[in-house]
Amino acid sequence: MNSESLYQFSTLTVILLLLAFYGGTYLLTLGIRKKKECADEFMVSNHRIGFGIGAASMTATWIWAASFYAAATSGYTYGVSGPIHYGLWGALMILFIYPFGRRFRKLAPNAATLGELIHARHGSSSQLILAFSNVLGSIISLMVNFTAAGALVSVLSPLSFQAGVIISGVGVLMYTLWSGFRASVLTDFAQLVALMAIAIVIIPAVFFAMGGPSELVAGLDNLTVEQTNFFSSDAILNQGAPFFVAVLAYAIGNQTISQRLFAVNENHIKPTFLTATVGYGAIVIGLGMIGLMALTLGMEPLNGNMNNLIPQMVSGYLPPIFIALFFILVIGSLSSTADSDLSALSAIMMADVYGKNIARDNVDPKRMLLVGRLTMITATVVGIVFASFSLDILVMLVFVGALWGAIVFPVIASCFWNRITNQAFTVSVLVAMVLFCVARFELVDLAGPGGLFFELLASIGGGVIIGLMAFGFFGRTVGFIAGFLAMIAMLIFATGFLRDYTVLLASLTAYGTSTLVCVVMSLNSRERFDFDTIAERVGNYSDSAQDAKPTTRPEEAPVTAGLATQR
Amino acid sequence: MTTLFTFYVLIWPALTLGVLTLICRAVIRDRRKAQEENRELV
Repeated sequence: MNSESLYQFSTLTVILLLLAFYGGTYLLTLGIRKKKECADEFMVSNHRIGFGIGAASMTATWIWAASFYAAATSGYTYGVSGPIHYGLWGALMILFIYPFGRRFRKLAPNAATLGELIHARHGSSSQLILAFSNVLGSIISLMVNFTAAGALVSVLSPLSFQAGVIISGVGVLMYTLWSGFRASVLTDFAQLVALMAIAIVIIPAVFFAMGGPSELVAGLDNLTVEQTNFFSSDAILNQGAPFFVAVLAYAIGNQTISQRLFAVNENHIKPTFLTATVGYGAIVIGLGMIGLMALTLGMEPLNGNMNNLIPQMVSGYLPPIFIALFFILVIGSLSSTADSDLSALSAIMMADVYGKNIARDNVDPKRMLLVGRLTMITATVVGIVFASFSLDILVMLVFVGALWGAIVFPVIASCFWNRITNQAFTVSVLVAMVLFCVARFELVDLAGPGGLFFELLASIGGGVIIGLMAFGFFGRTVGFIAGFLAMIAMLIFATGFLRDYTVLLASLTAYGTSTLVCVVMSLNSRERFDFDTIAERVGNYSDSAQDAKPTTRPEEAPVTAGLATQR
Repeated sequence: MTTLFTFYVLIWPALTLGVLTLICRAVIRDRRKAQEENRELV
């Protein structure tokens, strides 16, 4: 994988860079280390993280190594609008979840995971579906980030791919293991500052080094008509639309987001998420512009690998110090996401698996902490092994995407509509998964009535996505109207056409099916849920273990919320 | 056209700088408040 065309660091230089990064991060966490960590703080700190640290952590977590490479690839492939179609939708994933996040937080102020809320609302089967999707997502994320580290190290130095994977895995585990989430958010801030500072310097540096505005405009002649069009339908259908569909799914299916949602000071949720949206969009779209610059210059990606675009541009136009900065930029971004994934996985195993399903009424905070740390070690080993052997995770990715799409409506509706039942939640997700697979792998002929059937379901799915987004910001009436109009528009324009885009069709089918089944089953139910009971059922673990006293905020704590009352 | 593209490319690092400044100031404020309340930052 090593290449003569890219600048090569010596082995010693790369080891020193990695040592400086991971050593410095580790030293930073020593400042907050406690001899006896508290299980709740290990998962969500003190539920009072400030706006600055919260926004920094949210942004750093959401930016992973693939963000830069994929944004640059999008710019290189789709031209002028490419970076927008990657970065904007990724940023909106953060924005669109915050109205729902405020509701989650209001319902369960002491939760550490979204699964705990769903457990209190429905019970184990729904909760474990959500937890399972979160675990798969975080394992994939870990693997992708470790792979990116291995690829970067092997491309820019004589060190092997495996060496890069192992160093990054061990480095991240080392600083996260003891203090968990607290270490993750603190280091996220430091990593984000470095990441942003480097992005601020590197983007203009490459731009002017390649010849500046005149060279860029002159190079537009190298682009196709679609690539020069800011409203390119090619870019929208192949890059923007699949991302748009995933906006809510990624945010609901990702415990790293819920964890920060439950950790940030409740009054700061809105500014935290707004700032993270702008921060993510600016960095990722900005670095995506390097892909557009490469396209205008007529540059070919080295070995046909699009991931080489940014290293090639930096290597080709800037002095070695910038390549070192770029190296730190990528290592910082992947590490901040990987430590968040470790914290997310540990919280899921601690709260959702051990707390709610194994220990139940008898949680031992020390054992819980041990479960969290052992989870981190196991997850790191799994991530390293998967990354080292470059295992094919395509099937895993497909199923996680389907699962995330299928759970969006049941999860959100469960927090607003008192008629949703555990059975409706579980059955709707399972049916949606089955129909997703049928559409995604084209198990029926999509050319005939089969295609029409799935387009109808997908149209409902499109309506659900738009409806939920509008509902989050403008309330029920606007949500219903927007969703209905979107569904009608989809029925008119997508019928006979969407079947050619099976990924999009299958994703929308997952949304539409789960919504349809969930709504029909819920309407047939006579059950009415009292949302006030959720806060009573989700308490802090450490406090409840000590004295079984309530830990909800005083102004809204009429009943006990200790562990003994959680079930 | 040249000005437009220059703006299109450079607006992102400028926005990043703005967000970085905002976050750093907020963290300094968070830290001061945490010290006043005698609690930890995270």
